[in-house]
Amino acid sequence: MRKPERFSLAGGGRALAWAWLGLITALAILAPLLSLPYPPAQPDLAHLAAPPLVAGSAHWLGTDPQGRDVLAELVFGARTAVGLSLAAAILAAALGALLGGAAGFWRNSGLHLPLPAVVGLLGVAWWALALPWADAGLALSTSALAISFLLRERGNLYLPVPLDAAVLGSTALLGAVPRLVLVVALAGTLTLSPAGLLAVLVLTAWPGPARLVRAEMLRVKAQPFVAAARALGLPAGRVWWRQALPHACQPLRTAFPLSLAGLLALESTLSFLGIGLPPEVPSWGRLLGSARLEPTAWWLVAGPGGALLLTIIALQYLARAHR
Amino acid sequence: MRTPLLISLLAALLASCSEHSVAPNQPVRILWAHDPENLDPLVLPNPNASDANNLLHLSLLQVDYSTQRHAPALADSLPRVRLSGDSLTLITYRLRPAATWDDGRPVLARDVDATLKLMQGPGLPNEDARAQFSFIREFRPDPTDPRRFTLVCQGQAPEFAQASGDFFILPEASFDPQGSLRAYRLAALVDRPATAPPDSVLAAVARRYNQADPGQHPERISGCGPYTLARWEKDHRLQFRRKPHWWADALRPAPFVLRAQPRQLDFVVIPNEANATLALRRGTVDVYPQVPVREFRRLQASAAARQQLAFYTSLSYDVVTAGFNTRRPALADRLTRQALSLLFDAHALLRATQQGMGQRTVGLVRPTDARNYADSLPLLSYNTGRAAALLRRAGWHRLGTEPTAGWARPGPGSAPQRLALLVRYRAGETAFETIGLQFRAAAARLGIAVELRPTETGSFTPALHAGDFDLYIRLLKGNPFIFNFAPILHSRAVGEGNLTGFGTPASDRLIEAVAAAASPVLKARLLRKFQVMMREEMPLVPLFFRPNCLVANRRLSHLYPGGLKPGYAAAAITWVTPAVAAAP
Amino acid sequence: MLAVWALASLVFLLSRWGPPSDESLGLSNAADLNVGTPAAPSARRQMRREALLRQGLAAPLFYFSRVADGSGARPVRWHWNGRRNQYHRWLGAVLRGNLGTSFRNGRPVAGRLGAALACTVPLTGAAAALALAIALALAAGLARRPWWRRPALALLAALQALPLFVLATGLLLLLANPDALNWFPTYDQADAGNGPAPLGFYLALPLLCLVLSALPELTLQLEAALAHELRAGYAVTARAKGLSIKQLIRSHALRNALLPVLPLIADLLPALVAGAVVVEVVFSLPGMGRLLAEAAAARDYPVLVGGVLLVGAARLLALLLADAGARWLDPRVL
Repeated sequence: MRKPERFSLAGGGRALAWAWLGLITALAILAPLLSLPYPPAQPDLAHLAAPPLVAGSAHWLGTDPQGRDVLAELVFGARTAVGLSLAAAILAAALGALLGGAAGFWRNSGLHLPLPAVVGLLGVAWWALALPWADAGLALSTSALAISFLLRERGNLYLPVPLDAAVLGSTALLGAVPRLVLVVALAGTLTLSPAGLLAVLVLTAWPGPARLVRAEMLRVKAQPFVAAARALGLPAGRVWWRQALPHACQPLRTAFPLSLAGLLALESTLSFLGIGLPPEVPSWGRLLGSARLEPTAWWLVAGPGGALLLTIIALQYLARAHR
Repeated sequence: MRTPLLISLLAALLASCSEHSVAPNQPVRILWAHDPENLDPLVLPNPNASDANNLLHLSLLQVDYSTQRHAPALADSLPRVRLSGDSLTLITYRLRPAATWDDGRPVLARDVDATLKLMQGPGLPNEDARAQFSFIREFRPDPTDPRRFTLVCQGQAPEFAQASGDFFILPEASFDPQGSLRAYRLAALVDRPATAPPDSVLAAVARRYNQADPGQHPERISGCGPYTLARWEKDHRLQFRRKPHWWADALRPAPFVLRAQPRQLDFVVIPNEANATLALRRGTVDVYPQVPVREFRRLQASAAARQQLAFYTSLSYDVVTAGFNTRRPALADRLTRQALSLLFDAHALLRATQQGMGQRTVGLVRPTDARNYADSLPLLSYNTGRAAALLRRAGWHRLGTEPTAGWARPGPGSAPQRLALLVRYRAGETAFETIGLQFRAAAARLGIAVELRPTETGSFTPALHAGDFDLYIRLLKGNPFIFNFAPILHSRAVGEGNLTGFGTPASDRLIEAVAAAASPVLKARLLRKFQVMMREEMPLVPLFFRPNCLVANRRLSHLYPGGLKPGYAAAAITWVTPAVAAAP
Repeated sequence: MLAVWALASLVFLLSRWGPPSDESLGLSNAADLNVGTPAAPSARRQMRREALLRQGLAAPLFYFSRVADGSGARPVRWHWNGRRNQYHRWLGAVLRGNLGTSFRNGRPVAGRLGAALACTVPLTGAAAALALAIALALAAGLARRPWWRRPALALLAALQALPLFVLATGLLLLLANPDALNWFPTYDQADAGNGPAPLGFYLALPLLCLVLSALPELTLQLEAALAHELRAGYAVTARAKGLSIKQLIRSHALRNALLPVLPLIADLLPALVAGAVVVEVVFSLPGMGRLLAEAAAARDYPVLVGGVLLVGAARLLALLLADAGARWLDPRVL
């Protein structure tokens, strides 16, 4: 019963939201082609933490405490925001939805794996780790294969997979290990490539969406339409994918845009601890983090904070408008 | 509607509380960024723990902040030093006759004996002290005077005179009341291998000491210093109270190192800089030592703060240094190192990261040390053109004409060497990051690829020890007393303190000669030679000495600000008279 | 139980993987020009060995270790260490209720954690309760689609976009600054001997900060769930029957809307124990977050592992409670 102009307003809002996201993506792709007054990651030692729009300086948006141009960092930071933060948010949400959804749907006893397959996998792992008598591992998996082949007519032995316990346990584990411990473990052994950094971000971020989706799945599973679908004889996997999961992902509409802020903060913490992005790669998170050094420098927060806020609102708007 | 009213009421109440008048006996409140964690006088894990122990305990010699030299504290005068043969030094001390423990018993030579043996005994957290004082081989009491004794030291070095008196003397009665350690020879304990069979007497002493837990309960091994620890709230506040009757009160004239003015010293732990500055402005803290330069300048710029606070700066003994890993084939020759050192714009970096305070230097000697500083050497100047020329002289050539083309030179084998640098510094150190970014930008202009690798604190030192870097940026801490560069530049220290891996026979000889030089004239001559040699070899690029900034309440006097840590003399501080202080 | 054990073991092993640095052993830095006579390199190696031995770090880490062989067809082989290993000793001590002593100061870990909890739990507990209450009220208000809905949502998103330390420092510089508004005292002014009431006053600003940081996600999620419920069939029917929207929300929709938000609420419990590093550092509170962060930076593993055990246990408890809560809210959930 909404009035038409209200509707067009909503449409305009949606266009605006798309426009903002498009702008960010365009910046991310075209950043090196723009002619900015200063390149990124170059300290201007004569202007440290300079405020914006000061006469006689081409730092339009000011500089950070290292003397880097805020405008250049913002523009080039869009690359990291799209390529790393947004990508990590999407991957974490997807992984969380899959794992949480599966855990909530099948719980601890709903999914079964044939016993020989479990034994075979164990044997391969044994061999790969070069544990003592590694060949025993190989022998184990071969014999498991053989047994499954022999028993294929008489029906296999099945082992229930404690999926729910495993997912919950790993979310608890990832949530309880302080980031610093993770850093201690990582920093000494390896340096992170961009892909590795993405993996770390996803690894630490997926438990949130997973718990949300799992909780919603518990409820969705009890709804009549799921029971009806199963009564129709549809396979469980299909019911899960087609009926249950789309409904269970409802809470992610709100959580996904908000998780961007958390990921930016995490990325800047990792940089601060020395295992994140190298210091010459611009990012919004680092720019926000540099306000730590210069608490009165509002321009360090205003630029990246505003960009982040607009992105969150645009994503929120699209998520809400979509349902 | 009620809440704002309540808040403003409380605020008014609070404001009225904070405007109380100042009395000369008012506690002096000093700011610390970290809790000292462990006050065990054998361990001293951080500078704050050392400063706290300086209030609780006395050493034979202590630093006089008014002259920045060692002065007799528990000893009644500077020690008499005699050389014996060509490998021993005999150092004779006499304790002040007035010195007593809290229970009134005198401080005697046997307390020193027991302390030395405690520092070498097994089963105690004394590894650092053990290594540092293993040069003291024997304790010889004077049969005629229970306060006089001689320390027999292995080797002959000018610094022994100071170093032999630089440990806290603990009361024998508190950890070895039976005097069971007196039966042991000091040398036997120094040489005792870690695998030696357990000794019940030593184990009993260790157990007694460890059970007293002086790290958490310093009052159980109470020293003869002027203060006692009255309260310790972890990560929040430490309160030291002046002993009402302290033995040194009767000394006339009172030596500076035995001065203890404040009735109470409070150390307030505030880890955050913004909050620390606010606490100073609010008047809940009186002294803020080692203020970050940014906060210092910000406070100095505020008129209200200038009315309330006094600002002190001095030059510290800490020099910001870049070091090359000379074990890398590309950095093994001095011409390459010299070339790369020209890529640091030290002048602009000093102005930017230290806000114009601090001072540039040509070497590891402080520029204010007129006698020893090599003033004939010019400061390094940022010059990419000259750097490129030097690189060519070192055999490097550009791999192309485009601006990103790198550098290479033929190696000893068939594989050519490439010039690419991995720069490590402690993560979270902004000033070092600025230096790294500047260096990277300058190197990029020449086409040299530089990777910056900020490293988390715990992995930083191991990475440097393992030689996993091409260039490091770190703070090299020094002191005004001793010029011994062997731990950081001698080839014997490679794998330990010598992170650069540098060392030539000539430099080793010179470093040994500097450390052994007895006369100031000879030392100055050798030190200047050393600085010239280091400039030539360039294993390290000393960029600048950092400033030491101190902000304190205007109504405090006798702070003795100086470059030596902690940068003030806590026990000498006094409040100026209330008549002056009454003015708002 | 199994998960807590696995978690603590993992952290224990991970944290002790590399060789300990000199700083974590309480030794001075070799690469500084110290006062006193410098120790010879051999003496320093000896010193490190002794420190390792004294702190029980010289033993092998686990029951077996992987040794790089170098030669032969097999690049690695496994070496059995027996029961004389750090892990065995640690596990035995933990089972007897002994979490060990801190490397940095030799104090029992349990006491250290207890002291930090005493500071953290009142703060985070109050913050969690307050945030939850405000979120419920705010979401119920927003679900009625008042005129201020849009600005409120934007404001919440802005709060979420603001990093916590910016929020904390901003509040500090704004509300506890003699040069701006000096309304709130900070904890460095708190002197012992004050009762709990003044202490509460010192915690006002950190409390505000924590509530503001927890609010956006809770409120937005709850509001979205409520909006979803209000479009459901039963809600439309109830409205048609003449139930006011206020009654509808309070007696029907809120209960259902809470269900998907339960994990978020349950997450408040481990946060209760883990503390908030940023807020504690900015406001100089001697709490759990700061303790754990400093322990990690100084490689003080006993404290770190003790803290992780505690937080992990709280997290598992929270998960169980969340499941129980879900069953209570909706009996159809199994």
